[in-house]
This record gives sequence, C-alpha cells and structure tokens, in this order.
Amino acid sequence: MNEILEGIRQAVELIVTLNPEIVEITTRTLYISLSATLIASLISVPIGGLIHFRSFKGKRTLINIIQTLFSIPTVLVGLLVFLLISKQGIFGSYNLLFTPGGMIIGQTVLIMPIIIGFTISALSGVKKHINDLAISLGASEFQTIYTIMREAKYALLAAIILGFGRAISEVGVAMLLGGNIRGFTRVITTTISLETSKGNVALSIALGIILLAIALIINLILNRFQEK
Amino acid sequence: MDLLQLKNVSKTYNNKEILKNINLKLKKGENLAFIGPTGCGKTTLLRLIDLLERPDSGKIYFDGIDSNTSKKKQMEIRRRIGMVFQQPIVFKGSVYENTAYGLKIRGEDKNHIDEMVNETLDILGLGGYHDRNASTLSGGETQRLALARVIVTEPELMILDEPTANLDPISSEKIENLIHSITYKKETTIIMATHDLIQGQLLSDKIAILNGEISQIGSPDEVFRKPKTKFVADFVGVKNLINGTAKISDNNLTIINTGNITIYSATQISGKVHAGIRPEDIIISTKKVETSARNVLKGKVKELIDTGALVNLKIDVGEIFTVLMTRQSFLDLKINLGKELWIYFKASAVHVF
Repeated sequence: MNEILEGIRQAVELIVTLNPEIVEITTRTLYISLSATLIASLISVPIGGLIHFRSFKGKRTLINIIQTLFSIPTVLVGLLVFLLISKQGIFGSYNLLFTPGGMIIGQTVLIMPIIIGFTISALSGVKKHINDLAISLGASEFQTIYTIMREAKYALLAAIILGFGRAISEVGVAMLLGGNIRGFTRVITTTISLETSKGNVALSIALGIILLAIALIINLILNRFQEK
Repeated sequence: MDLLQLKNVSKTYNNKEILKNINLKLKKGENLAFIGPTGCGKTTLLRLIDLLERPDSGKIYFDGIDSNTSKKKQMEIRRRIGMVFQQPIVFKGSVYENTAYGLKIRGEDKNHIDEMVNETLDILGLGGYHDRNASTLSGGETQRLALARVIVTEPELMILDEPTANLDPISSEKIENLIHSITYKKETTIIMATHDLIQGQLLSDKIAILNGEISQIGSPDEVFRKPKTKFVADFVGVKNLINGTAKISDNNLTIINTGNITIYSATQISGKVHAGIRPEDIIISTKKVETSARNVLKGKVKELIDTGALVNLKIDVGEIFTVLMTRQSFLDLKINLGKELWIYFKASAVHVF
C-alpha cells in the first residue's frame, strides 16, 4: 500500500515539475495519434459517405464487416502492418518499421473501421426529409451531400474523436510497430507497460494519470457535441 | 404554352397503384388545388411534379421540357420550381441561413442574397428573426420559414403540400393570407394539395378532386355545384344525394323516381342516376304556396341541429332532405320537431349525374 501511495506522490511531482521525459513521451504520443486520426479521417469520412449515399449489392454485409472490425485486436492490426512494412514486406523498402511513421500507419488502419462505421451512422441519422429539401431547393448531387454532411457535423466529429480515443489508448500496434525505442518511438502506453514490469511504478502512474486526463477531456468534448 | 403538362402519369408503390393516368395542363399564373382524402396520392403527385420521384409511366413536361432527362437538366428545372413540404423541417442553423440556402447553392452574390433574404423575411413577418436558431421556431413560424425559403428563389411554379395541415386556426389563416398576397404580387403559378375544401376554394382558380386518379377538374364553382361522380359529390359535401331511375318527359324535363318520391330535373338524362340538391337551394314554408318551383314536397321535421347563425333541418318527405335556414326565419316559422312543412326547389337546382 505504501509503495502505491509513494508512487502517486512521485507521479504528481513528475507531472507538476514537467519532467522532461514525461513531456517528451506525451508530446510524441499526441503527435502520433493525432496524425493517425487526421489521416484516418481524411480517408474514412469520404468512404463512409460513399457507402451511405450509394446503394449497391452487399451494402448491409459490408457495414456488418466494418462494425465487426471496431473490436479487432490491436496486436492483429500490428501484425498485419508489421508484415507489410517489415524488410520482406511489400512496403519494406520505405524503412517504416520501428519508426513513428510506421506507428501512424498502424493506428490509421486500426481506427479506420470505427470512423467509417460511425460516419455511416452519423449520416443515417440525418432525416430523409433534409435530403429531399436540399434537392427540391435546387441543390446538385454534390451540394446535397455537403448539406447532409453539414447537418451531421457533430455526429461526424464524435466519430473522429472516438477514433482518436482508440488510437491513443492502444498498446499492441505501438509495441509491435514502434518497438518502444526510448527517445524515438516510446509512447505513453508502451512506457507504462515497460516501466511497470521494471518496477518503476511512479513513472507509470504519472503517465497513467495523463492518459486518463486525455480520456476525460475527450469525453467532455464528446458530451458537448452530443448536446447539440 | 402550358407551364406544366402531365400525360398519362402513373405511379406504383409496393404493387399498389397510387396514381393512375393523370392528365393535366396548367397555364402560367393559374392556381390549382388538388383536393382529396388522406392517401389519395396528393403528396406523391406533388413529388412527381417537383421531380423528386420518377413516374412509372407517362410524361411530365415543365415549360415544354421533358423532365425525363439528365440529372443536371432536372436540377435546372427544379431550380425554377419551389416546394413547401407538409412536414415542418429546417436545416441546422439560423433563420437567415435557412432562407439563404436556395440562393447560395445557385451561386448568387452575397449582396443580392442579403437583399432578397431581408425582403422575404420582412414579407413573411420574420423580420427580427435573422439570427434565431431555426429549430427553436414555433410550428407556424417554421411553416412561414419554409415559405420564405421557397419564395426567396422566385420560383415560376410553387408547390405547397398541405401548407397549413399542422397549424392552429390563427396560424393557418396567416399562411393563407400570405400565400394569397404573394401569388397576387409575384404572379407565381401555384399548385397546392389540401384536404380542406374551403382553403382550396379560397386560394385556387382550378380544383382537381384526386382519388388515385383525377375524378374531376374545373373551376371551384363547377366542381362544387356540378359534381360528376358520386365520389366527388360526397367529397365536396353535396348533402341531399338520392338515387333513382330517370326518364325524359314530354316537356323536356327529366322525371326521377326514387321509389318513394318523384322529382323533376332540368338536366336531360335517363337510366339509373344520382341526383343532388344543395341545401341552400331549398325553400321552406309552413303552408302550401303557389310557386314556379317544379318540385313541391310535403314532409315532417325529423331532426333539428342548431349551428348558431344557421339551423340545419332534416325533413322527411319520403326521402330525408337537409335544409338550411337562418335562425330568424326558423323562429318566425315556429318550427319544432314533427311539424309539417312544404319544401320547394327548382328543376334547375337538381343536379343529376
């Protein structure tokens, strides 16, 4: 018990004094996950829109598959991307393995299904009447899609934030693709994992508090959007 | 040239034929009301005209252009038409943004949009509402916003689907007055759907009774006074509707025998017929009097309904007739239940079909 209390005391001290290692790890974590979220959003929102606005055979099945991928194990995505970017993989020549770039790719792949899936449900949440209203007022196909996206903007933002939440809190991809290299690819989750096994609880707790704070902020923002 | 023409338009949903062989021509500046019971296909017909749906067969021409064309051409046609939907819907955003939508997507410049939106909102009594969140408006205000959104684009054809269906009487009257003054000022052609006969009469110079197909189309007076089918007669509320066998007599009058009574009509027709006499065309007296009216029948008062200014009498002369009289003459004649009365109506007042 004392060990834990001592750990928390040291953790608070590390945070309050802006310990350089903590700042560095947190910054890197945010950089990697935000980049992954940005790239995944740019790809996934249009894909989700395409699936929503087009009718085609197997649409329902495709949506089911996407929803199943929401809970794909992170290590599985890590493994898949590992095979693609490792020296023998198709993208091996880009030397992405064990770099922040590789981690961004992994997290992007990981959260794409979530953003696509929630984009589809965000757009489905817009009433059919809005579609008719836009068309009736003379909107072109593109203008109609833009209008519906705008109607769903808070739900779309929520989809993106959910994706970010999953990216920042996962370990599997970061560990497999980043390799947890100190000062280069070490992020919050991988540090907690390593430092805890080394017995350095204070650093782990400090990073845990930061991760929780980020989760809390995400939740607050999400709640604000859902109220609108 | 006709602004709108429909040729043999039919539409089926889930194997149910909603609209059958609709033929219609509408000139610029003409106002038409589709009147019919719920589920008669009004909304579907309006959606077809606004090119939101395609007919299964038949053609729709707008200003001579066949609407079965490319998406881009359809959009161009749609930009000349404006539709107000029955459901009150708004885009997320302010009243101003909602009203400006149509002009914005047409790529109009900012100053022009500003000017038009301000003018339109003023006309519709939404002048101080520019920055108000559109979703916080009341039902009547939302409907006025829906009108503003369409009027601001200055459409050549305006389609109104039950524009006052969800409103209280005061808001309804406001909307009716607005539609009236707008059509008068801007010479817009209007097609509206309503189940309200009075509204249809008030706002249109042509009425079409719709029941999957157009049962009758014509001026309100024609449709109300001379219904062509029993459905139309029932729907427009012709009260004294009786069935009988008709034959033409020597003096060119038609004699109709209902089995209980015989009445005369000026319309020449023979065979099985429906005959309708509007309550306001029937005169009552307590004694038999000399009159030019061909039909003179004696009966007893069976029912009295006091509706305020008018009293509604049901008189049994072998068939039950509904007669309306003013409260004053009702008191003067000292009418009570069971009282014997004479009713008179002209042969020309008997509409046979």
